[in-house]
Amino acid sequence: MKVETTRFGTIEIDEGKVLNFVKGILGFPNDLRYALLPHKENSPFFWLQSLDSPDLAFVVINPSLIVSDYSFELPEEAERELRLEEGDKAEALVIVTFRNRQNGDARSMSANLLGPVVINVDKRLARQVVLDPNKYPVRYEFN
Amino acid sequence: MLIFTRKEGQKIRIGDDIEITILDVKKGSVKIGIRAPRGLAIHREEVYQKILQENLSAARSVLNGQGTLDDTVIRLKAHEAPRKKE
Repeated sequence: MKVETTRFGTIEIDEGKVLNFVKGILGFPNDLRYALLPHKENSPFFWLQSLDSPDLAFVVINPSLIVSDYSFELPEEAERELRLEEGDKAEALVIVTFRNRQNGDARSMSANLLGPVVINVDKRLARQVVLDPNKYPVRYEFN
Repeated sequence: MLIFTRKEGQKIRIGDDIEITILDVKKGSVKIGIRAPRGLAIHREEVYQKILQENLSAARSVLNGQGTLDDTVIRLKAHEAPRKKE
């Protein structure tokens, strides 16, 4: 299928590759279909492009590339919603935010380790999960 | 919104499995006990708001983020990709 996006123009997405969010990313309840697009060859970053709003896209990264021991127990509620069963592969991605540093022009990047996006890779289902705020920061600077 | 008035020690049931107890009331703050099935996510509203605000910032911030993505050398601490759910 063809999808209009602000950033990438018209893109062609295989329908089987669409990520269906069982609940919208917090703050974006009406955007339920996304495509995961590699940023560039050999880049660790991906774009999570909404297929419902052309101008909505998030930069995401595999959290284990930032924090090697990042792990969490998936709440059972999320496990049910994502219909994760024996043999299904689950994957987590974290959303990146850019900020201007006060000194100089290099921008800081932080990852939201508190609210990872968890994907049932086999069933193409996803949702943002809320973890324990005592254990995971919402802004983890990594550059 | 359903509104109840409860006194200290009194409870509210939501469905069969969720029990909310008013433990203590004093000076503008209420201590609440929640008994709910394991695996049900229970958080302070602020946690959701914090994530929501960060999501909004993230979505806005990518407008100029592309350069940073290409220029930044990230200290990759691990190579092994997806962690499996336990």
